[in-house]
Amino acid sequence: MIADFQERYAKRHELAREWKKEGKKIFGYFCGYAPEELIDAAGIIPVRILGSLDKVTLADSHLQSFICAFGRSCLDQGLKGTYNYLDGMVTSKTCDIMRNMPSIWSRNIEIPFVGYIGAPAKRTKAARECLIEEFKVLRSKLEEFTGKSIDDDSINQSIETYNESRKLLKELYEIRGEDNSPLSGSDFYHVVRAGFVTPKKEYNKMLSSLKRELVSSKSPRDGKVRFLVSGSTFEDVNILKMIEEVGGSIVADDLCIGSRYFWDLAEPASDPIRSLADRYQMRIACPCKHPSEERMERILDEVKKYRVEGVISIVQKYCDTHLFEYPYMKDVLEKNDIPFLYLETEDRMGEEGQFKTRVQAFIEMLR
Amino acid sequence: MSDKKPEKKKRLKTAEKLGKLMADYYTESAMVKAQKKPVAWLSSVAPVEVCYTMDVFPVYPENYGTMCAARKLSAEFCAAAEAKGFSTDLCSYALNNLGSIYLNKGPFMGQGLPEPDLLIATEHACSSMAKWWEELSRHFNVPLYIVDSALPIGEDPSPRHINYFADQLRELMEFVEEHTGNKFDMDKFKEVLGYSDEASKLFLEIGALRKTVPSPISPIEIFTNMFPIVTLAGKKEAVEFYNELYDEISELAKRKEAAVPNEKYRLLWDLFPIWYNLNLFKYIEEKGGVIVADVYATTFGGRVDISRPFEGLAERYVGNPLLSYGVQQKTELYKQMIKEYHVDGVIFHSNRSCRMASMGQYDVKQGIYEDLGIPGAIFESDFVDPRSYSDEQVKDVLDSFFEILESRG
Repeated sequence: MIADFQERYAKRHELAREWKKEGKKIFGYFCGYAPEELIDAAGIIPVRILGSLDKVTLADSHLQSFICAFGRSCLDQGLKGTYNYLDGMVTSKTCDIMRNMPSIWSRNIEIPFVGYIGAPAKRTKAARECLIEEFKVLRSKLEEFTGKSIDDDSINQSIETYNESRKLLKELYEIRGEDNSPLSGSDFYHVVRAGFVTPKKEYNKMLSSLKRELVSSKSPRDGKVRFLVSGSTFEDVNILKMIEEVGGSIVADDLCIGSRYFWDLAEPASDPIRSLADRYQMRIACPCKHPSEERMERILDEVKKYRVEGVISIVQKYCDTHLFEYPYMKDVLEKNDIPFLYLETEDRMGEEGQFKTRVQAFIEMLR
Repeated sequence: MSDKKPEKKKRLKTAEKLGKLMADYYTESAMVKAQKKPVAWLSSVAPVEVCYTMDVFPVYPENYGTMCAARKLSAEFCAAAEAKGFSTDLCSYALNNLGSIYLNKGPFMGQGLPEPDLLIATEHACSSMAKWWEELSRHFNVPLYIVDSALPIGEDPSPRHINYFADQLRELMEFVEEHTGNKFDMDKFKEVLGYSDEASKLFLEIGALRKTVPSPISPIEIFTNMFPIVTLAGKKEAVEFYNELYDEISELAKRKEAAVPNEKYRLLWDLFPIWYNLNLFKYIEEKGGVIVADVYATTFGGRVDISRPFEGLAERYVGNPLLSYGVQQKTELYKQMIKEYHVDGVIFHSNRSCRMASMGQYDVKQGIYEDLGIPGAIFESDFVDPRSYSDEQVKDVLDSFFEILESRG
């Protein structure tokens, strides 16, 4: 079953090109702050642009060596034509790399539509009102682009579909955290990632059948050390696999490609734009948002709830906001007597080999 | 003056006055705690006018970073921050500042900055800023106000962007009132904005005098003369100073007196100076190159519509080219500057500490070359942390650039 999710992701470009042939429109988005529901309500399929482990060749002449591997890889794939099926992109103001990406992308890669949301970084009421305005502007830009109006009902329907998806992912997240759970952390990563590139209704069916399949099975995890994994985007799922192969068990997460993406549901409301703005503003914060306490509190809650024995942070090199929060996170965890291991990735193939010794030593220490 | 050695004598008459303004500011900063005056630390492009309106003493850790770098202290300070777990890849303004706090050291009488009672930082300068200042807030256990902008890079500000920022400025005044007990006064605010606007206008005009060939003011002079517009915007003293500086430079411009002898190639500079190696400008000058245009210095200028105080001030900060321009807008701005300032080439300093401002430089360079045939050179370095600076590599890039300029005649 997990293989289906893996295959979905592996064939994502092929599938997208097929949708294209069927006359469908496809938009790309970079991060979990893009309001996919609005794109979906406009009758466009949103797909997340993610990094890849392939060698970067073309982006080097556009980006400095000190730009993160994720940003470099995304642009590189764009320049190579990997995403030439996109009819547009929707992006949101988050970290410095994401803030600058649309202008570099659109100068070098043909893209008929760019919707850039000036998402505030704060969680205040004024910031919410501002985000509502930004979403309204995106809605009218999308209407103009498709020539069709996007009514509240269709946004509400999209919200429902997306909420369904998130509920299922949360259920699977819980299953992963159970004792002797049949769902591993690396499997779950495959599940989440497939959702970025699969139309949500179809994805929900996949999630439901996975859930049914998992309910009746168990996989012994005795003697494995229970970890929460936190961090930025990273592409190499082998890091997670390695953690589980050397005696760890991933039972909870605070990952960009993980719970941070799906944790929060949009509350149904009479004004769906407001409901979406609430959701995207108040979702578990990426470190590029302000303030940071709530994310740390949630990590502590998850540690308690899932009887986590150690936290492993996997952070992309040059990811400023994650790097800035590392000493703070270390401090919070130390004060709560939670062992912590920090791994810095550059999304290079085979990197997990270097991390193995450190994870093994960490597990030895915890046993 | 006569007892000074001739090589120490500054070219500009106003240099002495600038020195006095700086000395006064730092003397006050050393005494401000004893006087029980509230101290706010401000990030770059934070609205300093709020401090002068509310009678709060403003302190700039970034400005201070440039000085720590110039006095060769930054390497030690950055290392001290790294010892606390901050990555060496992070912004060296931040590392330098945090390190100097942990070591309680600084360039003035060995001391650090006066401790803050309040922290005010902008979020739109970059996404690191809020994180750095959250750390300061935890360290000193003092309140932090983040001023946030919702303007996407590459777009023009709409009323919603201005209103969001202006509303925060109002809230910021309340924040300062709450934590200092000082009361907001609209007349005082307008007076401060008047001075700020006037100083900005003059500073921009001084920068524009570089359109004259040869340039009447050198890049080091421009960068050093940024101090009042950054730190004293809103004070009468800044206006008086820039009036004098304007008179002096415009006189030099009229007389066609060159700030740098042998001005052969007129260059545009993007973006930060290397604060521990301002001599790089001298190297450029030895090659016949003179920096005559930049957006870094002029970014700190910006007009304010005083009839709408909060919105006017918001407009000054939100539409800042350095912080809000995408590749296309920056290319157009530079193309226009290249024409107005008679520029022969562009030098881009890719600053490892500033991903925000460095991203897109390759495309801007390419765009300018495609549209105007004006060549550019890009080198990588760090503006405050000298530890990985390679003078040879930088000079190699510049040497080949000058060969290109030479070959073009």
